[in-house]
Formats: sequence, C-alpha cells, structure tokens
Amino acid sequence: MLFRVLLLAVMVAVLSSCSNATDDIGDKVESLFKQVTGQPEVVEVEDRTISSSESVSSSSDANSSTEESIVLADNSAYSSEGVSASESTNSESSSSESSPSSESSSSSESSSSSESSSSSESSSSQTSSSSSEAEESQVAIIEKSPLEGLSESGVSFTLYFAYDGYDIDDETTKQIIAHANFMRDNSGYRLRLEGHADERGTREYNLALGENRALSVKDVLGLYELASRIDVVSYGEEKPISTDHNESAWKQNRRVEFIYESN
Amino acid sequence: MKKLFIFCLFFYSGIATAVLEVTILKRAENAFPIVIAPFEVVGNAEQGKAIAKIMSDNLNRSGRFNASSAMSVFHSEDDINFKAWQANNTEALVFGKVEQVSKTIFNVWVYLYDTYSKKRLYADKFAVHNSGIRRISHFLSDQIYDALLGERGSFDTRLAYVTVFNLADGRREYRLEISDSDAQNAQAILKSNEPILSPAWSPDQRKIAYVHFRNARSEVFIQYPFERRKTHKLPVFDGIASSPSWHPNGKSLLLTLSKNGNKDIYSYDIQTKSVTRITKDPGIDTEASYSADGKRIVFTSNRSGQVQVYIKNLSTNKVSRATFEGKYNSKAVFSPNGKQLALVHRVDKDYRIALLDIATRDLTVLTNNKLDESPYFSPNGGMIIFATNNDDSGVLSVVSIIGGQAFELASKKGEVREPNWSHYLK
Repeated sequence: MLFRVLLLAVMVAVLSSCSNATDDIGDKVESLFKQVTGQPEVVEVEDRTISSSESVSSSSDANSSTEESIVLADNSAYSSEGVSASESTNSESSSSESSPSSESSSSSESSSSSESSSSSESSSSQTSSSSSEAEESQVAIIEKSPLEGLSESGVSFTLYFAYDGYDIDDETTKQIIAHANFMRDNSGYRLRLEGHADERGTREYNLALGENRALSVKDVLGLYELASRIDVVSYGEEKPISTDHNESAWKQNRRVEFIYESN
Repeated sequence: MKKLFIFCLFFYSGIATAVLEVTILKRAENAFPIVIAPFEVVGNAEQGKAIAKIMSDNLNRSGRFNASSAMSVFHSEDDINFKAWQANNTEALVFGKVEQVSKTIFNVWVYLYDTYSKKRLYADKFAVHNSGIRRISHFLSDQIYDALLGERGSFDTRLAYVTVFNLADGRREYRLEISDSDAQNAQAILKSNEPILSPAWSPDQRKIAYVHFRNARSEVFIQYPFERRKTHKLPVFDGIASSPSWHPNGKSLLLTLSKNGNKDIYSYDIQTKSVTRITKDPGIDTEASYSADGKRIVFTSNRSGQVQVYIKNLSTNKVSRATFEGKYNSKAVFSPNGKQLALVHRVDKDYRIALLDIATRDLTVLTNNKLDESPYFSPNGGMIIFATNNDDSGVLSVVSIIGGQAFELASKKGEVREPNWSHYLK
C-alpha cells in the first residue's frame, strides 16, 4: 500500500516528462536497472540525476521518500555509507551526473556535459524551495529500492487507452517492456494491474472493459513469461482519477495502473 | 368550484428521515382524474394524514392517474356531492379514516367511489401498526389501481440502489440501500469504502445479490436484509465475477465471469454451486438478465465490434442481435410481458434510456439526459426506474410508459445509482 501511494505520486510527476520518450527507452531502462541491482554504489550516480529531475515533482514526493528512508533506516551500515557518499556527490553538485534520466525524458541523447547544464538549470528554476528539499531527497536516495529506480527512470506506471478500446499501441508496448525488464531483474516483486474505464457507458460493461485493458497489458508481459507473477483486477469506472465530465477527465480515467508488491 | 381543489405537486417528505426527494418533471394528460380526500383523523393519529398524500403521489407517478386532494374531509358517502365532482370531471373519489386504537395501533378505513355511477368500488378496514402506515398506503394504492384500471399496481414493492458519498478524508462511502417504491423509508443495509455495484432483488424478495469490492476485486455476494443471516459470498472464480441477476425461480443466478480472461455469461446454481456456461464468444459478454418466463436471456456484447444488445433463446440456443439503431446499446432488461427491452442507448455523446420493441425493432428514447444508466421495469411494467447524472450528482428517476410522466428521486447529499425494483411483496 505504501508503494502504491508512493508510485502514484511519483508517477504523476514522471508522466509528463516521459510522454515523448525515445525509442530506446526500454533498452536504456533495462541497462539502468541492471546497474542498479547489480552494484548498489552505482545507485548514487543515478540518484544525482534523479534528485535534479525529481526535485521538479511536488513536495509530496519528498515526503514520501523521507518516509521510505525511515522504513529502511535499520540498515545502518548501508545507510551511513550511503549518506557520506551522497553528501560528497551532493557537494559536487548536479553537474556531471545529472544527465541520464533528464535526457531520456527530453528525447535525444547527446553529450552529457551539454545536457547537464540545461537540466541543472531546469532543476534550479523549478525547485523554488531548493536546498532543504534537495537534502531531503538526498537522504532518501540512499535507501532507494529498485522500484524507486524504475519510477525515477521515466517509465510510466499508468498506461492510457482509447474510448472503448483495449489495444496496446507501440508506445505503450515500450513502456510495458520496461516493466517486463524490471520484473525479470527483480524477482521479488509481484505486479498488480488495475484496469479502469471512464464514466461513459454502463458500469458492468466498464468493469469488463477495465479488465480487458489490464489483460492486454498482461498479455505483453506474458511474452516474457511473467504471467504467473501478475494479478489482474478491474475497477471499471468506480475509481476515477478525475471526476469531471469531460474528455480530459475521461482520458485520465481510461487507464491501467501498475502496482508492485514485494514478496 | 374548481378552486376547491389543490393540486399537490409537492411530495411528502415528513415521515422518518427521508433521504430522497421527489420532483415531478412532466405531467401526463389523459390520465384518470381522481380525488383523494384527506383522511379523517380520530384521536392522536397524525401519522394517518400521510396516507392520502402517499396514495396520491403513487398514483400520479404511475402516469395513469391525475390525482389531487380535496379541501374538506369526507366522513361518509352522504358528504359526497356527486354532481359537483362530475362537473369537475373527477371520475373517482377516495376518502377514509384513521383512528387510534392504542399507542401504536391504528384502525384504517378506506372507500373508493365512482362519481358517475355513484357506486362504491372498494371499501376495506385494517388494523395497522404505527410502522405499517407507509406499507398500508402503498397497498391501498395498488387496490385503487386495480379497482379502476383492472391491472395490478407496483406500489407495494421495494427498491434497492447504491448511494455514494464523498467523505471529508477523501475516501468515498458506498451504501447499499433499500427503500419503498417511492424511495422513502430508505435504510442502508451495507456501508463500505469499497465500490458496491449491481444490486438485484431475488424473486422472493428476501435476498439481494450484488457486487462488492470488499476484497479489492469484484465478487458477488448475497445478503438477507430481513433475516439474521450472514451475508453469503459466492465462490471465488478466476478473474472478475459480476453482474448478478436472478432466474425467475430464484434457484440460480446469471453472472459474468472472466475465466481465462474471456468475459462470458454463466449460470450459477445456488444449491449445487455448479456453473454452466451460457455464452461463448471472444468478446465481452455481460449484463445478462432473464425474461420473466426464464426462457430467454438478454445481454450486452461487443462481439460485433460495437457494444450492442443480444437475446439468447435458451431452448433453441439461438443468439440474435436485438439492437441495430445507434452505436452503443447496453444493460437491457426485459419488460414483464417479454415484448420490450429497456436499455441504455447512446445518442451522439449522450447515454439515454430507450424502450425497444423486440419484434418491430422500434426504438423510443425516453429520457433527455447526458449519462443515464441502469433502467429497470416496475413489476407491472408500467414504469421504468433509472439512474442518471444531473448537475454533478447521481439521481434516481422514474418514467411511466403510458403518459411518459417522469419523476426525479434526487439525493440531497451524494450520488444515487443502479436502482433495482423488487418483485411483488408476498
């Protein structure tokens, strides 16, 4: 449940930046997470990017990540080590390492130095509360779980669908593949796919429609032999993101949500 | 003389804590003109004053009557000026008396006269407990309906529906409520923060089947609102279980199950707990319900690429498409005589309630809203109740088949959804 809250919050922030993600995002995400899981010390490097891009997102993110740090605070050896490491990188500031995720969101991958300046610019301009918040996220970064890494990589945890539709397009497929790679590399997680519909049409039909959307996503993940770790549920039109009665609300509500649960 | 009559357009909202409020939208012409005089009250029997009001409201809602009140109380037949009533085109007159017998027991007398023939068409006397005042009012409405039209009324029946309230902490509260046929006397029989869907009265009116997300997935439950008996959960099936509706014999339910992800219609036998598949199609099949004789089912399917309504004849196993007008037709139910369907019909971007003649395929749109859902016939087929979306809140409405008279039963606080009309009380 904690994950769910956390993910939803992060998801919203990440979503806007990843909407124009590039073709190679899946591969990139895969490689990122091999690094993340294989070598914990690399995490800080990735985190630099995240702290700059994440600071864009709302303060609730910072709150949730501090919560996360409290939960994991028992792991003293690792965390103290991490704190020192992260503080040092913090003092280096967000110049050299701040590239990957911000790049992946801003499409073309070029030299990291040129990108870094723009991303640091954006981070400084967008973080009005600045330093204290950055410190908070620094602390959180240390204990980052693979799941946080996934959410911070620009992968969307919510996929959207056309009216009365449950087809998966190419762009959606890429997102799903990123999740597939994550699941393959992190066998400790189960995935709950929640299908939803907009308010138009009848409730029972929408319940069926929502399940078909989640099942479509599961079908793609099934190609990676992950089906046994996936639960599918549908809420139909009962849990809308927006309760307005217009197209922009309906668009947000026709969706499948990815909710990871650790075993 | 005409000024003597007050046309009562305001519905009764005094007794108990009424949640819903009724508003008349349209008034039928050519309806049977009837006057229901205020009942004579003897002793401390103020509750009895509600009887005439409830009856009048019931008859008006049916679309078959134009009921109004009289200025004065009638004590006996001698008080009736038949000529004056004839001159006023009033064809029938009801009056009665409520007398307190004990603290909680009342005697109720009621009389119905034909103002032209001057004959007494109906008269009866009842001893009624305080809590039964509303029930007797509905019962008497049915008696008058039958005496004047030769048909059974649908007033002494119940509704089930779902209400939704937004709580201060951001969560929602769902309530499964049951009420009288006029949406008064409402009681919540289930409250939950998780969605409740598709309530359905059993034919014996002792049970309600519904979908509840109590366990974070759609499962079907059967609750006994009038008995000290535990709510019964149907076995967990693979995937969603939803859209329960009863066989007319009450022994089995139609369900939508998504075994292996494919949503089809199944019959679930309550006694044996066995499941029989009824439809088989790769698309979505859902929202199934039986005809009154149990020989056909109607359901929603997207098998054609559009959402349309189909009928399966259970003796021939033949499936035929029922709706051809419009790109979206769903949630159909048979009329009690089996000749018509009430369904949700998409008109441009709006979802409205329509009536389909199965044989001729004539489709009549009955409502004029944006988001209407869940039509359901009254037991005599004279009215259709449905949920709609009005000014950002859900409301219950009733439309009469004859007269096209529409009523709104609006929730003051939250949304009201998915009304289901019980069969006749036994």
